[in-house]
Amino acid sequence: MILHESVLPFYFGYPGKQLFGCYHRPRSAKKPVVVICQPIGHEYINSHRALRRLAARLCGAGFATLRFDYYGCGDSGGDAEEGRIPEWLDNISTAIAEAKGRSGADQVCVVGLRLGAALSLMASAKREDIASMVLWDPVVVGRNYLKELIALRKQTLRFRPIRNSQAFEADPDLLGFSLSSFLFSELENLDLIKIPLGPAKNIFLLQTGQAGGESRLQDHLAKTERSFEYRCLDAPKSWLPSEDGSLLVPVQMLNAIVSWISRVHL
Amino acid sequence: MREEAITFGESGRLVGIITDPPERLEKRPGLAVILLNAGIVHRTGPARIYVKIARELAAVGCTTLRFDFSGIGDSPVRQDSVPFERSAVQETQNAMDFLRVKRGIDRFILLGGCSGAYLSLQTACCDPRVAGAILINFAITIYGADTAERKALHYYYNFALFSIQSWRNLLRGGADYLKILRALRFQFMRKISSPQQIGPEESAMLTNLRLLIDRGVRVAFVCSEGDTRLGDLRAAGGDELKQFCSTGKVGLDIIPRSDHNFSSLRDHERLLRVVHERVNQMCSATTQLDECSIADRVPTASVKLHALS
Repeated sequence: MILHESVLPFYFGYPGKQLFGCYHRPRSAKKPVVVICQPIGHEYINSHRALRRLAARLCGAGFATLRFDYYGCGDSGGDAEEGRIPEWLDNISTAIAEAKGRSGADQVCVVGLRLGAALSLMASAKREDIASMVLWDPVVVGRNYLKELIALRKQTLRFRPIRNSQAFEADPDLLGFSLSSFLFSELENLDLIKIPLGPAKNIFLLQTGQAGGESRLQDHLAKTERSFEYRCLDAPKSWLPSEDGSLLVPVQMLNAIVSWISRVHL
Repeated sequence: MREEAITFGESGRLVGIITDPPERLEKRPGLAVILLNAGIVHRTGPARIYVKIARELAAVGCTTLRFDFSGIGDSPVRQDSVPFERSAVQETQNAMDFLRVKRGIDRFILLGGCSGAYLSLQTACCDPRVAGAILINFAITIYGADTAERKALHYYYNFALFSIQSWRNLLRGGADYLKILRALRFQFMRKISSPQQIGPEESAMLTNLRLLIDRGVRVAFVCSEGDTRLGDLRAAGGDELKQFCSTGKVGLDIIPRSDHNFSSLRDHERLLRVVHERVNQMCSATTQLDECSIADRVPTASVKLHALS
């Protein structure tokens, strides 16, 4: 597949709190512009390759696409301990404004992975310009998400010369990413079912295998009057660390997302 | 501290971030640090450690550039057929060219983890602009050694031996006895087969180190205590590397209780201190010390610098 893309890395946002973004500009852009909301922490590192490929494919299909890093994440300003959900929601709004400005599009498709999907849904609640939304393996219940992270941390730190016996609460460190008590508390209280849905007309829920919580979200979204589609595919979980250190690209998920967006925005 | 997103290279498609010192420290040209991808992890590094390193070094007056090789992170795949080992060295040289043109810097310290460490060493050997190399968890394949057996041996010695659960499994018949026997046989054969045969990778590493020592280039290995690569490095370097380290020609720092990816914030603190110390030493060793002179602004490392034992 030949991808006709031009990738522009740049900083944007408020002075002193700059955000890093990569804008993928196709030769001739269709509407809307796509904004990709990434996960956080190790999930961000592990899935970077997959989301970069997704952006390239969307660009190849004619959609201008912006990937960006939240404040305190990736190449953006700030330290990990400064990360807070309200700030990240604000970052999504800033990124949407930036993407619309660069592409000239007035409608947006938001694609979110893991916590990025949860944030996308939250950010879209009060916006009129989001025409469609892809929720890829969203974090539905924050408490479960934290449990998963703590279990993975325990599993990973098992293979160290001296076991780390400290309780998680005493050392809020998620595989090298600090987790502030504020963010911990915000995640504990996160429940997507309780988030009021925004006016996005089309929603695509994409899931890798069976996991807890998504069926509730599926039922919740299906009850609305929006055009809702759900797919569950057998694919690698790109956000998890692999045994050999490789970064997985679940091609079937990328294909499903690109074909859905292309179909919805003919 | 200021960060700028850039594109550079032959086709202008390599993506990187320059981190410049704050304005008040700006007029200190001469030496920059370039961070090379750790494996296929993009330029933020594992657990964002490259971002921390770049910002800390910039805070003490050192310009840094972290970028993605072609096909990694945000840099697109090359369209030619140049093998990665060669293209990565070329692209590191492109990064040096870029910094010379844009920042007037012509001496460099290369820093890389895993395969980035290997590429730092390769580039240092073929480019005289490199004044130092910090090689984190340097990856080397030991000639004739089975990777699975080495990993198993590392696991038994470092983890299972001190685990009550593992001893319980062993006594209750739940252990993989064949795997244990294979690992022990591997260790036994390694002990009795002397002198060990030196493979091409080990030989090339030692040749490269000799070359760099002769040229006055400072080389420092930084290893995680819990990474199999530490044992590989010791095995590959043998007595000659021991001698280089004991005479101070090559540095070796071991980050205690850390793993390959530096998976805890404490690992990050220890690694940052070691990198500070090494950059400090390398700056002092270059002829441009007076212009670079970050030495007096870098905090003294409290991490013990180990010699090969």
